Amino acid sequence: MLWYKSWLETRWRFLVGLVLMACSAAEVVLVYPKVRALVPLVPSDVPGELGRQIHEAAALAGSYGGYVWSHGFRENLSQLGTLFAVLLGTAGLLSRSAGALFTLSLPVSRLRLLGVRFTTAVAELFALAFTSALLIPLLSPAIGARYGVGSALAHGACLFVASSVFLSLALFLTVLFDDPWKPLLGAIAAAIGLALVDPLLGAPSWSVFAVMRGETYFRAHRLPWGGLLLSAAVSAALFFAAAATLRRRDF
Amino acid sequence: MAESIVEVAGLHKAYGGVEALRGLDLQVPAGAICGLLGRNGAGKTTALKILLGATRPDGGAAHVFGLSAAEPAASVEIRRRTGFVSEEKDLYPVMTVAEIVRFTAAFFPLWRHDLQERYLRRFDLPPERKVRALSRGMRTKLALLLALCRGAELLVLDEPTSDLDPASVEEVLQALVSHVASEELTVLFSTHQIADVEQIADHVAIVDRGRTVVAGPLDDLRSSFCRVRIVFDGEAPAATFDVPGAGRVRREGRVLSVLSRDGADPVVAQARALGPSSVEVLPLTLKEIFLESVAGEG
Repeated sequence: MLWYKSWLETRWRFLVGLVLMACSAAEVVLVYPKVRALVPLVPSDVPGELGRQIHEAAALAGSYGGYVWSHGFRENLSQLGTLFAVLLGTAGLLSRSAGALFTLSLPVSRLRLLGVRFTTAVAELFALAFTSALLIPLLSPAIGARYGVGSALAHGACLFVASSVFLSLALFLTVLFDDPWKPLLGAIAAAIGLALVDPLLGAPSWSVFAVMRGETYFRAHRLPWGGLLLSAAVSAALFFAAAATLRRRDF
Repeated sequence: MAESIVEVAGLHKAYGGVEALRGLDLQVPAGAICGLLGRNGAGKTTALKILLGATRPDGGAAHVFGLSAAEPAASVEIRRRTGFVSEEKDLYPVMTVAEIVRFTAAFFPLWRHDLQERYLRRFDLPPERKVRALSRGMRTKLALLLALCRGAELLVLDEPTSDLDPASVEEVLQALVSHVASEELTVLFSTHQIADVEQIADHVAIVDRGRTVVAGPLDDLRSSFCRVRIVFDGEAPAATFDVPGAGRVRREGRVLSVLSRDGADPVVAQARALGPSSVEVLPLTLKEIFLESVAGEG
């Protein structure tokens, strides 16, 4: 029944996330013919950084795979994945408004409460990442294009594992604070902060956003194992920190 | 004497620099209905949360069914055998009445489905209504149903009648009394409503500033606490009473009024030596016992 409770507490966030990420993936695919038609019109004489970025975007849009990666996995799905990982991580658990004392009066250990809550959110995040990623090969024939299922799965895995870091961070913050807004805002602020710091560090391949974007897979056709393992380890560490904090917390 | 279901000794708890409990002691015998009486902020809720494992004590010991409430595994076992209603009556707002009943029943193998049906009817709880749409009174009744149907050996109720209208208070207390009369269980409830304690409790513990100041069977307290009224022909002398149990002495004109916590006899014997015109022993109400106990602290 704890699973059912977790589902009730997260279902709207999950379903909204599923619809938005599916729509985003569909939009990436269905808009491609218009983008392809615009590529020859892109000016090639714009100087400086702006020109370099325009040139790079046009070059990526020249191939369907490059376009899907740059618009889908690098931008829209990474941003939505981060947002919904935070939203799933902050839903419910043990805040007063969510019946914390009633939950704590049940004959269930705190670790189990947290474990069920975490597992539910991780399963939902898994569904968000892979559903949106797999929609791309599924919808591509509609515009006469082809996108490999293997590539979609690889990008889905990168999106899922890296965004689970933000889910765990949000979960950890909900254990620290009773207030529902502090964990939400704290996790979003951390994500924005990391996104700003990432380019300053040269966007290393092991960073959480580099892993989420799947750039290594797109450019070198290999999974960023080091980054995936690091993200998974950070996510697990945040979960165990949440468990240790929850064990000691007074309600 | 019946074994104690709840045994608390020297319990300490501080939040930041504020001491909520300062050596609280409490014993609740099996089968008792014990009212934990105290002002707001006296430490009642903190004590009950510690018994349920929701809060960890800084010092002292709290045992329920002989199990340590501070031990996580033992705490799970305590909760398996305990029904609890929190002060906030905080339930899951996203569930309907039927869902939260089904949800709670799944955790308790001894869940009383017969009582569930009876209390759903008695409290007139609409099964399909969301918890968030229930009135405060309805939520209290639902929380009570969820506690009573667990097949528990102990009920822990934190301010079960707070914020209820008089009719709902009566309904909740009557349900509690009839439930206890038909089931073998122990009840520990906190309140600052003296009338609630007088109506249903047979034991009482008065808590003030984190300590137990008076505890025992209600009948014993009523027989041991009394006021000795000593009337003189002239102005009452400024006497002190140096006998066991003697408490506050009030002097008003020709009358000395002495509170005794340990029967009237020692005080009466000393009063007679003062040559009064009359000595009268008056029983104390629970309200007077409470006010005297709390006033004497700090």
